[in-house]
Amino acid sequence: MSEATFMGVPRDKISWHPTIDYEKCNFCMECATFCPHRVFEQREGDRRLVVANPNNCVVLCRACSKTCGPDALTFPDKQSTIAEIKQIREQESVQ
Amino acid sequence: MNSAILSCTGLDKPEGSVAREVAIRMASSADSEIICPVLLNRSLARYKKSLAENTLIAVDGCSTRCASKLAEGLGIKIDRKVLISDVLKSSAVTLEPSLNLGPNGLGLAQAVVDDLVQSLNAPSEPIPSAAPSGAFPPPTEHLMVTHDKFEFRIPATDYMFNENDVWVRVVDGVAHVGISDYMQQSLTDINYFDATKTDTDVDQFGELGSLESAKAVFEIIAPASGTVVAVNAETVANPGLINEDPYGRGWLVEMKLSNWPEDRALLLKPEAYAKTVKHKAEEA
Ligand code: SF4
Ligand code: SF4
Repeated sequence: MSEATFMGVPRDKISWHPTIDYEKCNFCMECATFCPHRVFEQREGDRRLVVANPNNCVVLCRACSKTCGPDALTFPDKQSTIAEIKQIREQESVQ
Repeated sequence: MNSAILSCTGLDKPEGSVAREVAIRMASSADSEIICPVLLNRSLARYKKSLAENTLIAVDGCSTRCASKLAEGLGIKIDRKVLISDVLKSSAVTLEPSLNLGPNGLGLAQAVVDDLVQSLNAPSEPIPSAAPSGAFPPPTEHLMVTHDKFEFRIPATDYMFNENDVWVRVVDGVAHVGISDYMQQSLTDINYFDATKTDTDVDQFGELGSLESAKAVFEIIAPASGTVVAVNAETVANPGLINEDPYGRGWLVEMKLSNWPEDRALLLKPEAYAKTVKHKAEEA
């Protein structure tokens, strides 16, 4: 069993993390300052903020998007993510 | 009770202009007193009387939440909040891309005003669909997770958790929901509980409203599916209770569960949740 799991499923099998819309982001860094899980990292260059550790993001959390004035952060659809997790659980318990 | 309305200045983006328009229209149609954010920031004394006497409504244009944060920074309690960008998302309206509102923006502002006026005139709490079972004895035994100088308590029995730090306590067919001690401490002082309405059906992992502190807005992720039968009026009136007593008097909603035998398989028992908390605390 890998160390990080969510609902019993290895974290790296679940695709859940923020995506930055660089057309909207103004690099205020509110999200990066806010998230305690080191998901975001600041970089040199044009894209001064990146989602560096997507798997550190807590599955189903969307808290950082609620700090983002320009609404530049998006997440996958919650219901389909849950369906995906349930499917992986079933497959694994069959094995 | 009369109301006072604090909006953002509305000079940054169209959503803000809608917030400002809401304030202006509330002043003319609902006799609300406008609290100018810039003046409030300069002189709290100017509005002291009005703030003490009125229900305070804060209207923010976007998630930067300048109006709410200004009030919170000054220690002013907000009774009602509206976030225009959220209202916009749940409506089919597209705002005109200008600070001078067009028909869509003005229409949206009026819709928000109608909604506010209606809820101000409505009796304060909707009658719950079932009699809430109310108070329950607080847990007596706890597991302790320690990290640095922090201590996080987890009730040793009766409570189950989702990985988003929400608990459900199912005893004698009655389900109460709240947030964990760990989340309560991470959020710091909770100053607003925006509850889902009673009689709403929610799926497991759906939303049961949100909590707000100076630090964050926390979505309450439903630990199980069912119907909300009661909202804890005490925590709505005094969200600080959630910090004081997260597993007892600070409960959030009572639910009638619809699929508990299946839902519980996706929840964590206290020991497993303790490991999750440890992991989260170490990673942060
Ligand atoms: S909060 Fe939004 S605008 Fe600010 S840096 Fe993050 S994504 Fe960009
Ligand atoms: S969703 Fe939550 S855990 Fe994920 S990056 Fe945002 S704040 Fe961090």
